[in-house]
Amino acid sequence: MIAYIVRRLLSMLPVMAVVALFVFLLLHLAPGDPAAIIAGDNATPANIDAIRKALGLDEPLWKQFLVWVASLLRGDLGRSIFWGDPVTTLIAQRAQPTASLALTTILVAVIIAIALGVTAAARAGTLLDRSVMAFAVMGFSVPVFVVGYVLIFVFAIQLRWLPVQGYTPLAEGVLPWLRNLTLPSIALGMAYVALIARITRATMLDVLAEDYMRTARAKGVAPRPMLLKHALKNAAVPIVTVIGIGIALLIGGVVITETVFNIPGIGRLVVDAIARRDYPIIQGVIIMFSGLYVLVNLLVDLSYTLLDPRIRY
Amino acid sequence: MTMVATARQAKPGAVARFTVFARRNPTIVLGAALLAAMAVIAFVAPWIAGDAQLMAPINRLRPPSAEFWFGTDHLGRDVYARSVYGARISLIVGLSVAFVSVAVGLAIGLAAGYYRRLDGFVMRIMDGLMAIPAILLAIALVSLNKASIGIVIVAITIPEVPRVVRLVRSVVLTTREQPFIEAAVGGGSRDLKIIARHILPSTIAPLIVQATYITASAILIEAALSFLGAGVPPEIPTWGNMIAASRLYLAGAPWSIFFPGAALALVVLAVNLMGDGLRDRLDPRLARRM
Amino acid sequence: MIRITRRTALQTGLAAGAVIAAPSIVRAQAKPSPAKTVRCVLHGDIPTYDPIWTTANMAAYHGGMVYDTLFGIDAKQQPQPQMVGKYGISDDKLTYTFELRDGLKWSDGTPVTTADVIPSLKRWAARDGGGQHMMQRVKDISAKDAKTFSIVLKERYGLVLDVLAKTSTSVCFIMRKKEAETDPMQKVTEVVGSGPFTMNLQETKPGTQYVYDRNPNYVPRKEPPSGISGGKVVKLDRVIFINMPDAQTAVAALQAGEIDFYEVPPTDLLPQLEGDKNIKIEVLNSLGNVGYIRPNFLHPPFNNVKARQALLYLVNQSDHMKASFGNSKYARTTHSLFGMGTPMENDANIGWFKGGVNYEKAKQLFKEGGYDGRPVLLMQATNIAIMSNASQLLAQELRKAGVNVKLEAMDWSNVVQRRSSKAAPDAGGWNIFITWGGGTATGNPILLAAHSASGDSAWFGWPKDEKHETLRNKWAVAATEAERKAIAREIQQNAWDFVPMLYYGQWVQPAAMRANIKNMLPVPEIIPWWNVEKV
Repeated sequence: MIAYIVRRLLSMLPVMAVVALFVFLLLHLAPGDPAAIIAGDNATPANIDAIRKALGLDEPLWKQFLVWVASLLRGDLGRSIFWGDPVTTLIAQRAQPTASLALTTILVAVIIAIALGVTAAARAGTLLDRSVMAFAVMGFSVPVFVVGYVLIFVFAIQLRWLPVQGYTPLAEGVLPWLRNLTLPSIALGMAYVALIARITRATMLDVLAEDYMRTARAKGVAPRPMLLKHALKNAAVPIVTVIGIGIALLIGGVVITETVFNIPGIGRLVVDAIARRDYPIIQGVIIMFSGLYVLVNLLVDLSYTLLDPRIRY
Repeated sequence: MTMVATARQAKPGAVARFTVFARRNPTIVLGAALLAAMAVIAFVAPWIAGDAQLMAPINRLRPPSAEFWFGTDHLGRDVYARSVYGARISLIVGLSVAFVSVAVGLAIGLAAGYYRRLDGFVMRIMDGLMAIPAILLAIALVSLNKASIGIVIVAITIPEVPRVVRLVRSVVLTTREQPFIEAAVGGGSRDLKIIARHILPSTIAPLIVQATYITASAILIEAALSFLGAGVPPEIPTWGNMIAASRLYLAGAPWSIFFPGAALALVVLAVNLMGDGLRDRLDPRLARRM
Repeated sequence: MIRITRRTALQTGLAAGAVIAAPSIVRAQAKPSPAKTVRCVLHGDIPTYDPIWTTANMAAYHGGMVYDTLFGIDAKQQPQPQMVGKYGISDDKLTYTFELRDGLKWSDGTPVTTADVIPSLKRWAARDGGGQHMMQRVKDISAKDAKTFSIVLKERYGLVLDVLAKTSTSVCFIMRKKEAETDPMQKVTEVVGSGPFTMNLQETKPGTQYVYDRNPNYVPRKEPPSGISGGKVVKLDRVIFINMPDAQTAVAALQAGEIDFYEVPPTDLLPQLEGDKNIKIEVLNSLGNVGYIRPNFLHPPFNNVKARQALLYLVNQSDHMKASFGNSKYARTTHSLFGMGTPMENDANIGWFKGGVNYEKAKQLFKEGGYDGRPVLLMQATNIAIMSNASQLLAQELRKAGVNVKLEAMDWSNVVQRRSSKAAPDAGGWNIFITWGGGTATGNPILLAAHSASGDSAWFGWPKDEKHETLRNKWAVAATEAERKAIAREIQQNAWDFVPMLYYGQWVQPAAMRANIKNMLPVPEIIPWWNVEKV
């Protein structure tokens, strides 16, 4: 077991190396010049060259890569080309809004999806089942930004029930924090309802089947603990899948939602950075999230051993 | 006498069989029908629609009328013509992404699953690719190069490949342990033949299902990329970039968003219905896993 | 025995509550009141805190809050003294002597002296186009004492005060000696100025919001404010620049009262705002912006003057303006090289404009220019609406004139990078790109980099014409406004013959704000927050 953990941790290294190399090449081999963007429209070519030199962007690629990897290993994600602030500081400033949004979105999606999934499973194979699942699919058939704008128009402008945009930190009160997160969570959550509803429906079908099996086994010899383990085993998959979705959420759908609702999160940070070719931010955020993803995968796999003792590594 | 009787029996059989199939699998049929209708519209676009690119600012933001069935957008272009041609590009993007990611994923997955020595190396690279957030990778790829349909297809395909590889690999790993494979290896069959004849067929069913989901997802991701300024160039209409380009006019000229939006939602729904139906039909066990 | 009555419990509870609540009450008092805080959304994000490092206007908006200038233009575009009290020009017009006025202090309380001013001038001039132009004619800048300094010229130069007073980037902001002595090729990172606001670095979050507090140590001039000259009296406690790139969201936020001011509401959304009595629309920059089309002089077809002249006959400016602004009263056509409404506007050599669009003539001119049907690469910046629209329309117009257009879509950052390439279009170069510039800047033949026609060292497109350059220099040393206007006519007469660039229209971007924001000062290219009240 320990050996497995150590092996998995070590295997993170080549994975992260692949990510690092891929991201670095992606950014630096492509056109787009942060020096020219910083210099602004009225600048002369001489000015732009000066900026490029000052930022170290005229060094050969392999040198820039090594410098970057060396600082990575020290835990230094570099500094923003534009503002000069350390990337780690910028990420830390923006972590709370993104994490909050991911959390509330999963809650919204899970609540709606479980309701839909249970309904569909209870009447599996009927028209109701098909319609409910179709409704869930509608949720992600419309692009998130359209849903967002419509929600803003209806609930923030016409009805004035909720704010249009922005983010209130948790420290300033739970209610204001929730109010700002309501519309974005719904807009983004709808996109994930179908996925979670599907899993819920499938799990419920399994559990229902087990009931019949239990009745059958009640007539024979059926140890209780085995049943509990079955329930856990079935519950484990969706729980763990939802956690996985949560991490994927952190960057995926959040990028658009943060732009529409002006939430100062990491998604916005990296999208703005891409437009401006602020390489350190782009690289830093992608590395950080890739690392997080790989780590979470490891924890998820390890949790399977707890949930199902038959699984041994 | 008998021959006529049998001949009359053969024809109704096909229709009857189809009706039975349709009644048992309404979702697959409905989805496929919708998709087919869209494909036909896309195909006959030049005959049923006018110029999708002609800009005439004097006609901008006109509501639907006899002249412009779906109204005009902010550059005076015909929304109907653009929606119809948009079907072409959106479907091409969706189907291309599905096809390429399945083809590439299949090849890599087969190799990784069958050859133990490749497995570790390939899976580490796939894990690395999967760790990179898909939409960021896509935006970066498109923004950093010039925008074109090709780049957008590549950008959406790359993050999908690792998932397909995973799927194929898991199928290969289970199939590989079967006794008939051992028998084939023992019998001296060549690797390629074993893979092609014994392993490949078991991958088809889950791959088809996966392909349908990828198609729907690709069309949606294209819309997201367009919103973020990294989609197909705006001259060429896709439903995604039409919606993104008209987002300021949600209140002022809703037709410019509604028609491409409805078409996009319809196709995504159709594809998902097909996918769900196929999955339930081909392998009920998959319903648990997905 | 202590009886715990409901009353005592209540009292204790209240007391406890007060203790727990006390820190937040204290916090509330220390925070500036929302009644005197303005939350504004401007046209972009601040790219850097060092105003000479970039020509992006947002850096000037930032600079205008925390720094002060020696001179500033007034409402009539004339330079007026700001940090300078008395000043004089010698009879031979070669020596300018300046004396700083009283009360100038840095935000840490230390006084501003010439020891700060002179390095600031030199550092700014090292990077700014206008500054460089002036420095070529400067013999010496030196301080006589802590308050007096002089600029001695080698030859006459009429633009000294204009260049010090301009609001076009880079603005000549005065910094402390410490920052001013930083290498012009390195960024200044500390933000310490002598302006009407100070930057609150605790509350500032780069990319999200930038917070400026009223500077209690600032001593404004006595005159009423006009342009960026006169007394900068701050009537607000705090101004917050919020970075909100999504236009739809910003307009909605303004309607909901979540922000007080939005600089760039899209023209198509203005009708939505005009009906709202809590919102008013004001034009702060009446000269607006001019759209530029830049052809590449280095490669065919636009290395031939006839091909460039053809462009004049195929751009339908009113279509371009309609495409981006509808039937707005805020957009118009423009026929002068120096924009419309500017002091240098004139109507020399505008036969092409009066005759209107003529595709036949354009085709003819392309033929005479030896156009061989090769692909013409037009760069399209897809993420900036006005440029994206203009590129698509221009491509359609060129095609109507028989040109084989290759419309290359990319984001603005790629355009910025690719336009600096002098290579052939099929080797990473380009033939045409589209952008825009401020109306005021366009109206000045010297200060706008794009007006230079010095060939290789000119702005992207690299136009080359000796007569144009000679006339520009003549303009710079002209003694009177009337002389300048006459020379401007000559410049335009020549320019519409050799076509360094052309325009696709001129538009004014009105700002939208809550009705309780009063007394905004209309100034081109900068938005001052002094004098503004929130009632």
